Amino acid sequence: MSKVFRIAAREFVATVFTKGFIIGLLIVPVLGGVGAIVGPRLVGDRALSVEGEIAIVDPTGAVLPRVRDAMAARSSPAAVSELVERARAGGATEAIADMLGAATELTLIERAPGADIEQEKRWLTEGDAAPRRLAFAVVHENAVESASGELGSYDLYVPPRQDARAEVIVHSLLREAILDARAAVRGLNRAELSRVLTVPRVRSISVGGGGERDTVFGLNMVVPMVFMGLLMMGVMFAGQGMLTTTVEEKSNRVVEVLLSAVSPMQLMGGKLLGHMAVAFVAMGLYLGLGLAVLAAFSLFGLLDLTLILYLVIFFLIAFFTLGSLMMAAGSAVNDMREAQALQAPLIMLTALPFVFWMPILREPNGTLAYVVSFVPPINTFGMLLRLGSSSPPPAWEVWLSIAIGVAGVFGAVWVAAKVFRIGLLMFGKAPDLRTLLRWLRAA
Amino acid sequence: MGTAAAIELKGVTKTFGSLKAVDALDLTIPRGALYGFIGPNGAGKTTAIRMIMSILLPDVGRLSVLGHASALEAKDRIGYLPEERGLYRKMKVAPYLTFIARLKGMAERGLRERVYSGIERVGLTGVEAKRCEELSKGMSQKVQILAALIHEPDLLILDEPFSGLDPVSMRLLKDMILAEHRRGATVLFSTHVMPQAEELCDHVVMMHRGRKVLDDPVSAILRPQDARALTFDPLEPRADVSSRVRALPDVASCTAVGSGYEVLLREGADPSRAIHNVAAALPVARIEIKRPTLEDVFIGIVASDSTAESPSEQRRTAGAAA
Repeated sequence: MSKVFRIAAREFVATVFTKGFIIGLLIVPVLGGVGAIVGPRLVGDRALSVEGEIAIVDPTGAVLPRVRDAMAARSSPAAVSELVERARAGGATEAIADMLGAATELTLIERAPGADIEQEKRWLTEGDAAPRRLAFAVVHENAVESASGELGSYDLYVPPRQDARAEVIVHSLLREAILDARAAVRGLNRAELSRVLTVPRVRSISVGGGGERDTVFGLNMVVPMVFMGLLMMGVMFAGQGMLTTTVEEKSNRVVEVLLSAVSPMQLMGGKLLGHMAVAFVAMGLYLGLGLAVLAAFSLFGLLDLTLILYLVIFFLIAFFTLGSLMMAAGSAVNDMREAQALQAPLIMLTALPFVFWMPILREPNGTLAYVVSFVPPINTFGMLLRLGSSSPPPAWEVWLSIAIGVAGVFGAVWVAAKVFRIGLLMFGKAPDLRTLLRWLRAA
Repeated sequence: MGTAAAIELKGVTKTFGSLKAVDALDLTIPRGALYGFIGPNGAGKTTAIRMIMSILLPDVGRLSVLGHASALEAKDRIGYLPEERGLYRKMKVAPYLTFIARLKGMAERGLRERVYSGIERVGLTGVEAKRCEELSKGMSQKVQILAALIHEPDLLILDEPFSGLDPVSMRLLKDMILAEHRRGATVLFSTHVMPQAEELCDHVVMMHRGRKVLDDPVSAILRPQDARALTFDPLEPRADVSSRVRALPDVASCTAVGSGYEVLLREGADPSRAIHNVAAALPVARIEIKRPTLEDVFIGIVASDSTAESPSEQRRTAGAAA
């Protein structure tokens, strides 16, 4: 056993104490930190201005003047703020609200009610006009009032490759102008009506044993994704390391020296343990940083700490399954180029949970989530997602998934051991599937 | 199987696909012996060595290494230098040797001293902290040889240890092998360099096409087969050496071979009288009855391969060729 630990210790030291590993490990949190600090300063302070012309045909005669007034008012900061607040209260996303607040230099082109619509459409795309032609709108005749009671809207035409912000602003201007016109026709006070119809959106409050606190929007989606990401990162980190070092040992021909001192199984066991420790270092760092961030924002209590236990359990299962297969792939080839062909299916298998991530979180107890939870090796990712979701599965499902995962580990290690033993001393043409199957039978 | 032998193989066979790499190999190497394993490329030497090391498992047959059914049970007592040399390129020399020594079960006590004195012994003082990738080929090979010896094994198996070494390093390695032998270790090494096998070994095993074709003490192999052939080196180069020797009684022919000459005597000639006559005719630095070399035996066996003779027939053919 001591030889296994000696191999493991060498693998650990040879991997962790390298510039590549340290840089690779730190680059993600460093970039994340830089992004969190610098990002908002780069994009939050100032939205780029929207410039151009808007043409409107208004058969009602009530909308166009109001658009004109609104455009004049947009130069007033107070009016812009009111528009943004109204959009937020109405459920618009932050992005749309920010667009409304963007500086604008719009010119209104008023077209006669009987204008040729087709000619106006062509106006949009004629040459490289300056200022840019942003939109052409046709207000419906029944947009403000209708004899039948059914109210109309407007048609909006835009040139290709339109600036999305310009379109949002035009929609907003027309909507507000039509609503104002409708209110005026009916003798209603628009400002009063807006106040009456506005209910500010509030944050919900989590009530638990640890007291009450504001709910963090999206936490139920983010936590499972983060844990699945950690699991995936740990498995890929370690699996890739094992494949690389195995290929190196084989191509450096040092493997035969090792096999004169240890058995293939001791070598395999040592490499697995060493890279498992490497993965724990990487996962521990990221998990620690994540917990520190949660603690800094007083959100630590929102995290179910048993998730960390399950993360470790499912990591071990996924690591021994995929890691041993990665190592077998490394032993069967002569260089990294050949290794890429064999590792591709394993990487795809590891990445598969990303496909299922959103459907599982939407329906944590749906059929897809249920099936994915019991098919090794992706069951580890699927079950961890469900455990972190708003509707965690019952305990028996979790432990059944673990039992299936452990059985998968034995199967994968059995296959990997056979390929590893033969592949290590095989040089020359990389094996195809038939050759690998023959090795399995022969070992 | 008895436990007296360091290595004992009985009917060991290994097949790769349709190729029989080792065919029913019987081999017994007594403890403390110094054996040479010779044969052409593809003869099965490395496969046999890998089976002895339990790196490969035989398809058929039994083997015993240092009294164990598998070398796995005695790996700490075996030193091994594989034919395909390898080092961890990024590891430094002293940590690499320490790592290998620990894998071989060496105790921590005195390990550092053993590693550093070993490095000094192979003339690599000063490279302890160098990465293995910074070493020259010869230096790398010395480190690998040291890795095989560092734990003072009872059995030392070296696969082509002399390949790639300069003459000085070759001499150093020979001395190290002999020192291990004197210490009591059993040594088995494979080589293509026949003079080294002749010089070093007590006993030679020759493989050809997976089969053992020779398994004899070197002294028996090199015993003169034909007393009518003499070899001599003149003390000084002269133009008329051949003609002067050919003129002597009982001499059938005299031909230059390398820096010396070979003399074939007539049927019934007395070799001791012929030696006396040659030495009297011209001053010689060396004169003796011609002995076969391992190279002659080796080439003879390989050359007669196409006739598919039995090992004993091959040996007779090789002797005749010599």
